[in-house]
Amino acid sequence: MRPALTIFAVASAFGLAGCGSNSDNQSAPKSEAARDAAGDKTIASGLGDGDRKFADAAKAAGLDATLAGPGPYTVLVPTDAAFDKLPAGALDTLMKAEARPQLTKVLTGHILPGAILTADIAKAIDNSKGKATLATVGNGTLTATREGGKIVLSDAAGGKAVIGAADDKRSNGVVHHIDGVLMPS
Amino acid sequence: MRKFLLAAGVAALAIATPAFADKGGGGHGGGNGGGGGQKADRAQGGGGQSMKAERGNGGGHQMRQMSNDSGGNGKDHGGGGKAMRQASGDIRAHGHGAQKDLRQAQAHAMREQKSHGNAGHAMREMRADNHRRVEDKNRGLARIEHPRDDNYGQVRIVRRDFNDGLRGLANNCPPGLDKKDNGCLPPGQAAKLLGARLQSNFAETLLPYQYRSWYRDDQQHFYRAGDGYIYQVNRSNNLIDGLIPLFGSGNYYSLGDQWPQSYDFYNVPYQYRDYYADTGGYDYRYSDGAIYRLNSNSGVIDGIVALLAGDLGVGQQLPMGYDAYNVPLDYRDRYYDTADNWYRYNDGYIYQVDPKTRLISAVINAIV
Repeated sequence: MRPALTIFAVASAFGLAGCGSNSDNQSAPKSEAARDAAGDKTIASGLGDGDRKFADAAKAAGLDATLAGPGPYTVLVPTDAAFDKLPAGALDTLMKAEARPQLTKVLTGHILPGAILTADIAKAIDNSKGKATLATVGNGTLTATREGGKIVLSDAAGGKAVIGAADDKRSNGVVHHIDGVLMPS
Repeated sequence: MRKFLLAAGVAALAIATPAFADKGGGGHGGGNGGGGGQKADRAQGGGGQSMKAERGNGGGHQMRQMSNDSGGNGKDHGGGGKAMRQASGDIRAHGHGAQKDLRQAQAHAMREQKSHGNAGHAMREMRADNHRRVEDKNRGLARIEHPRDDNYGQVRIVRRDFNDGLRGLANNCPPGLDKKDNGCLPPGQAAKLLGARLQSNFAETLLPYQYRSWYRDDQQHFYRAGDGYIYQVNRSNNLIDGLIPLFGSGNYYSLGDQWPQSYDFYNVPYQYRDYYADTGGYDYRYSDGAIYRLNSNSGVIDGIVALLAGDLGVGQQLPMGYDAYNVPLDYRDRYYDTADNWYRYNDGYIYQVDPKTRLISAVINAIV
């Protein structure tokens, strides 16, 4: 399943989607037992002040529901400072309605299946002669190496990001903060 | 190697309990009773009516009843006399136990026959706090007992089918390509298959590895693959009730997109069906690595509720990207890497991997 990039025509943004006439969008639908199971300490609820840009991007892509669901996922959250390192205007372009599929693809490139702690990444690096590969749910792969005692992640485009504040265990996975935005190929 | 003591009298073969034959009807008794009426606004593709009827059916009560029946009665599963005899043979070979287990084992064996080597999981297990894993090295089977859920005392088999991949794989269409000459159906042509009879050479075709735990044959449907699609076939009339593109559009849908009519049937992978049933004003649809939530009136996407990697399946090699141990935190005390076994998580399941060959040897129904 390798997504190719095409642009969907977007009939409307959230506004219309949020106006279901027979559903209360404020409360969890009863069918989403997932939300109860995930508890109130989800990845979504744990995104803090320094994660605003990631949280906004996730919401725009509709992934806030994923990050509040049962998961589990390992999420590499680029800090706001990380987003600021992108070329001027890049984030604005990505956040436009017509770029939604690209935005979603960038975000899913930061989400890994299961729960991976930095100790697990470090062990994999050691077992793989210094270079481990990590699959994302978006069908991309990241390469993990160790440099100067820190774990460095490299994306398919050659970009790099360093894991900072890590191993934030949530009810539905784990969050590691990174200092760069990873890009798909 | 961890070993557990066998409980006396536990049958070696597992029980399949197709309790959730029609999850689309609404997981827990909140069936979409007004299914037909509610969806009048949304145009449906061919076969839409039958699909609506299906979803309107079956509240939780019906499903619970089926689960009781199929637990103890092999007849529910159809299948021919041959399957029964084969099941009996297997059971004798194992040297098992109670009559109840025998009937359950027969039911399972018949399902095995029908599903042609489907990894042979029972229907979705309730989330159990305790698993006991027993490995029978002679037969290469792993048995999992779930003492705390509804299936207490029943055992589910997870089969190593190393040769599965050689039998009738679906066409391996490259993602994004749907030209006629590469063996994949263009979406327009595929849509015409709704309500049609399944092409006979697909009748025996196994699903690609990673989908076998997601779409399991049940009392109402069986799933086969070909020409770039998974087909959901109605047992009662052998007609195609739904199509799931193996590669889809190659893209994530956006909030506000309308769900395509051709694929508008309840196709959430089995392991997620208790979480995401079509009720409460929402419908759930799977495509290409994501489960989407739709407003059930308009069919417009208003959220992505889950992301599925679709990478792991029993019988295949561990693909690239699974170097790191990723078992969910709650399960790490039971499933941890040793020299003899690795464990890797994907899409609701924990998989057991042989570290030397990198072959995925078993799947353990775990998470959701």
